[in-house]
Amino acid sequence: MSDLQRPAADWELQFVIAGCAERRVPIEIIGSGSKRAIGRPVDGTVTVTTTSLRGISLYEPNELVMSARAGTTLSHIEAELAARGQMLPFEPIDLGPATGGPQGAQTIGAVFATNMSGARRILHGAARDHLLGVRGVNGRAEMFQAGGRVMKNVTGYDVARGLSGSWGTLAVLTEVTFKVIPWPETAATIVFLGLPDNLALELLSVAMALPVEVSGAVHLQASVAERLNHPGLRSLNKSITALRLENFSSAVSGRKHRLKEALKVYGKALELDHRETLEFWGELRRLSVMPNRPTLLWRISTKPTTAPKLVAAIKRYMPAEAFYDWGGSLIWLEVPATADAGTAEIRRVTAIHGGHAMLIRAEPSVRASVEVFQPLSPPLERLTRGLKAAFDPAGILNPGRMYANL
Amino acid sequence: MQTNFTPEQLQNPRVAEADAILRRCVHCGLCTATCPTYVLLGDERDSPRGRIYLIKDMLEDNAPASPEVQHHLDRCLSCLSCMTTCPSGVDYMHLIDLARGYVEQTAPRPFKERFVRQLLARVLPYPERFRLAVRLAPLGRPWLNMLRRFGLKQLAAMIELAPPVLPPSPKFEGPGTAATEDERRARVIMLAGCAQQVLRPGINDSTIRLLARRGVDVTVSAGSGCCGALTYHLGDEASAVAFAKRNVDAWSKELEKGPVDAIISNASGCGTMLKDYGHLLKREPEYAARAARIASLARDVSEFLGEYELGAPKRWSSLRIAYHPACSLQHGQRIKEQPRELLSKAGYSVVDIPESHICCGSAGTYNIMQPEIAGELRDRKAKNIKRVKPDLVAAGNIGCITQLTGQVDVPVVHTVELLDWAYGGPVPRGLEGLARFVSNVPEPKQRRAEDFIHA
Amino acid sequence: MTLSRMPEPDQAVLDRSSAIIKDLEALIGVDGVISEEEGRRAFEADALTAYRQAPMVVVLPRSTEDVSKVLKYCHRNGLKVVPRGAGTSLCGGALPMADSIVIGMSRMNRVLDADFVNRTITVESGITNLAITDAVSAEGFFYAPDPSSQLACTVGGNLAMNSGGAHCLKYGVTTNNVLGVKMVLIDGEIVDVGGAYPDAEGYDFLALIVGSEGQFGIVTEATLRILPRAESARPVMLGFSSCEAAGQCVAAIIGSGIIPVAIEYMDRPAIAVCEAYAKAGYPLDVEALLIVEVEGYEEETTRLLRDIVDIARSFDPKVVEASTSPEHSARIWKGRKAAFGAMGRISDYYCMDGTIPLGRLPEVLSRIAQICAEHRLKVANVFHAGDGNLHPLILYNANDADEARRAELAGAEILRLCVSVGGCLTGEHGVGIEKRDLMDVQYTPSDLAVQMRIKSVFDPNWQLNPGKVFPLSALEASRASAAADQAA
Repeated sequence: MSDLQRPAADWELQFVIAGCAERRVPIEIIGSGSKRAIGRPVDGTVTVTTTSLRGISLYEPNELVMSARAGTTLSHIEAELAARGQMLPFEPIDLGPATGGPQGAQTIGAVFATNMSGARRILHGAARDHLLGVRGVNGRAEMFQAGGRVMKNVTGYDVARGLSGSWGTLAVLTEVTFKVIPWPETAATIVFLGLPDNLALELLSVAMALPVEVSGAVHLQASVAERLNHPGLRSLNKSITALRLENFSSAVSGRKHRLKEALKVYGKALELDHRETLEFWGELRRLSVMPNRPTLLWRISTKPTTAPKLVAAIKRYMPAEAFYDWGGSLIWLEVPATADAGTAEIRRVTAIHGGHAMLIRAEPSVRASVEVFQPLSPPLERLTRGLKAAFDPAGILNPGRMYANL
Repeated sequence: MQTNFTPEQLQNPRVAEADAILRRCVHCGLCTATCPTYVLLGDERDSPRGRIYLIKDMLEDNAPASPEVQHHLDRCLSCLSCMTTCPSGVDYMHLIDLARGYVEQTAPRPFKERFVRQLLARVLPYPERFRLAVRLAPLGRPWLNMLRRFGLKQLAAMIELAPPVLPPSPKFEGPGTAATEDERRARVIMLAGCAQQVLRPGINDSTIRLLARRGVDVTVSAGSGCCGALTYHLGDEASAVAFAKRNVDAWSKELEKGPVDAIISNASGCGTMLKDYGHLLKREPEYAARAARIASLARDVSEFLGEYELGAPKRWSSLRIAYHPACSLQHGQRIKEQPRELLSKAGYSVVDIPESHICCGSAGTYNIMQPEIAGELRDRKAKNIKRVKPDLVAAGNIGCITQLTGQVDVPVVHTVELLDWAYGGPVPRGLEGLARFVSNVPEPKQRRAEDFIHA
Repeated sequence: MTLSRMPEPDQAVLDRSSAIIKDLEALIGVDGVISEEEGRRAFEADALTAYRQAPMVVVLPRSTEDVSKVLKYCHRNGLKVVPRGAGTSLCGGALPMADSIVIGMSRMNRVLDADFVNRTITVESGITNLAITDAVSAEGFFYAPDPSSQLACTVGGNLAMNSGGAHCLKYGVTTNNVLGVKMVLIDGEIVDVGGAYPDAEGYDFLALIVGSEGQFGIVTEATLRILPRAESARPVMLGFSSCEAAGQCVAAIIGSGIIPVAIEYMDRPAIAVCEAYAKAGYPLDVEALLIVEVEGYEEETTRLLRDIVDIARSFDPKVVEASTSPEHSARIWKGRKAAFGAMGRISDYYCMDGTIPLGRLPEVLSRIAQICAEHRLKVANVFHAGDGNLHPLILYNANDADEARRAELAGAEILRLCVSVGGCLTGEHGVGIEKRDLMDVQYTPSDLAVQMRIKSVFDPNWQLNPGKVFPLSALEASRASAAADQAA
């Protein structure tokens, strides 16, 4: 068991990192630890958690902006926002349940550090798109800030956004400032049943090309759909293709009508009302259709038109079950556990079709031995090493979490 | 924008004028996007902003124009697209004219270029000489490649542009007045023009018929002739001033005879020049006031007709017309909507051409002096025209008509020719094949009181 | 204006200039190299004409390979490089250095691929912003970021500055609309970052490249997100008799849960000038004008406009006028978008770009008026009110050295004010040469050090767009500490 540090102030964190940097002691950085089983395992002599850095430091509902200490839990933030009729636009996905971690525990710092976005990304953008500013401490134990609290800011490089998705390997975030939006007045979902992947993805693309502002566009293969909790949808034994609309009520009903009209060739659509919509998309947000099992879970990013071909190609090598999110540009793929996690085949197929793949769930021994994150082209790898060295020359922050020897 | 002229330099009224124009430019660069040569060549020096800079430096240095500056100013089409775009209201037209004069005075040109420029200046403005030249042009055709090899690409371009057959002379050449047979409602002077009379005499004929039908007397004044734009844009201000003075003299006499409602031009390149007479002659004490008066009366034919009720068309057609706005009309005179509206009211279905703000490459004598760029612009325009699949193309300037004829698979005619046709005139030359798509509008039968009751 | 000092040119490089020009001509052809003096001078400034410096030579590449060849050559020979798009920067982002090579991207302006099913477009970086929308509008799509100079500015420049625009209140700025780029690094290596799929692999280099002001490499191609265009978009003009009322109205609209696509603000002097240019029917007798645009289906925009007008009523508007037709909307926007240029009709101007928290708007506007009055200068305000991005235009006479200096001093004071209320120096124009020396107002030395180290990752010898973004003093400090790092 490694030494666990819970700094409660920036200077304390700075002190811990300075000490480790001097002695070149590797540190594992965590928030609540809900995503600890994702990525390559880190062998940290010291573990630093940000959970004692908590609290909302600024919230201006009229300016749609909030700042929070990195260790503040997402559930706390969402409750505060909901109290003022607002929300996080990017609907951060919770990978805890799918990877054996706790549900609803993740911290806001970790959400941005891993750039976790959910279904609404297709309309409003990813977590990184809403990050306005950060404070943090880098591997040199320097305290720094980047960005700010205003909506538009191009003063200097966009370091804040550059840190999102760096999985704690460049710096430890201590505070994040981000954009929020109002809750829509209402939401509705229309559902098509029994479509094969290629038709379903075509449907999603047609819907996304209409100016109705679809805020969720998913397709669940039949075997995936039956894992839903929704009693009506799980028992149909059919694939599910769903589109979400969020707006004021007359706009939702008008747009729903337009959408159904444009998509009628794909069959009759079911409708989920406001409450059912919240439940259905809430389930997807927890990734409950990909429950924690001894199988492998991959996350593949690609073009919607190539997504079904890519899945079909992988199926030639191994059984695979898919949940398509983001209009088809994101594939959650469950495949049987193997020693190399199917890496060779999945990466080769992905390369052919264009995109990248990340292994989300696998045994630690597997994650330690294969490339969990998409391998980089030589020039990108060179830049990646350069960036790591610029922030963390001693290589003490989450060493090896993303790439071996980094 | 900051300028660096000495007080002594600013004593010179031309420099002072240039300074005032330059000071307005804020170097925002919007003009670059709509400049045809910049769009093609992607070189700041071939953009309005770049040229403004070259001109500023040239005038500030007070040194002879370098070959470099001459080259890039020569490449300007004077299409004035930049002036439509410019939010600061930079008077690029007068700046480039002024700079061209400066270049001609300070920088010698090689013999070949001088020869071509002289040839154009001595032939084009004079219908008789021009008619002869066009008749002789076919003799040069077999030698085109040789001419190009000897670096006489401009001469080759000239020969290529000349139509193989010339139409018969116009019905009315003037001087004199074509009196309306209707009740007289207005009296206008028409600029008979120079090259246009030779290349497409039907334009003047159509204009006169169209106006006369609505009670307008059309006068072509004795002694009037070329508007002067041609030599002006070649940098020969003295010659342009001489042409302008002749016209001012001729038209002043006409004004003395009785009220004139407008001076009509049906070649928009010339119209832009007429409207600028006040500026051109402002330093000529004897002419300044009269020239300003003439300029204030100048109207493009579409502008004049737009203020006039032409009534119901006599013929109806389903012809799809791509309206090509000549730069001198849309940018030089800011006349955009009237020609389209006139054509629509006359019963044609009018379509816009993509990138319609970009010049076709004709630009006065540009297609002769800069045949490569003019050719690229012509091809680009032709492609855009073909994209909208018209039955024919209408334009308000003879230069564009000559430039595009034969490039777009469909006829190219003047707006007034189509209007005249719709309102009862003869089939315009070259449209004989389309005549079967045009039918007469039946005379409305006299309605009786009962009809109204049932309606 | 001379407040920002330029780095000293390298005399040894200048001495070699004719050989360098010959080499460049051999690399990409005589046609792509501009070396004579008049030609170089045409590149001496962008849209910030207060700073001017002709480069040693200009090259106009036609392909990524051309760019790569030139950069490789510059890298090997230790030459400075200044990338340039259309030269519309308002912060001197494309200002050359005397010993630099300007790489002008204007000839690389093609659309390479428009993919309407996946809703992406791949273009060369010299294409203009508006040309991208033009290329996809027939299919019902548009490219969202719309800087006021969108007619002329290139997407390469947009990427360098992370440009915004009036409509980014809803659609985000450039960084939110880019999926991938092809970039040439200083050593000539070509790297692809991201692609036609979401969330590029590895670190978010795209986030760092966008907004790096041409200091990380030269982007030659970009893959961008395109969006379906709403059925209708309608602006409403709300005129107020005080800027406070207008400011409160903006906050009330956003606080109500409506997010319009744009909320633009103009004050009295700006209204007069824009009206003279665009004839949009702006009310001339109000102190502040808001242009609020909503979009959606016809019945939705009607309802949204009604809601907005209802909110506005509580702030006693003098004028409430919705656009009557698409042509009218176009004129309303034409006037707003040409505001800077139109200001040229009455005066030279110095355009600020600070962003502030919306709640501080009335206070900041009155301080701006005060600052300008103290410097005996007039000011006009045109800005993106929805996101607090201010564009005070300080009017001055460029031919009067003293006035020019006062304008620059007033500008610096305004930007300090923006930072002091919790905002930033620049919201969408970039730092460039103009705000370089104010960076330490917003950032501590360690904040700047973090940024400068990233620069060194991409461009270890600081050859790309030198002399911009960071104060020269900070630069010297960072060199010293890098040397210390090396020694350690």
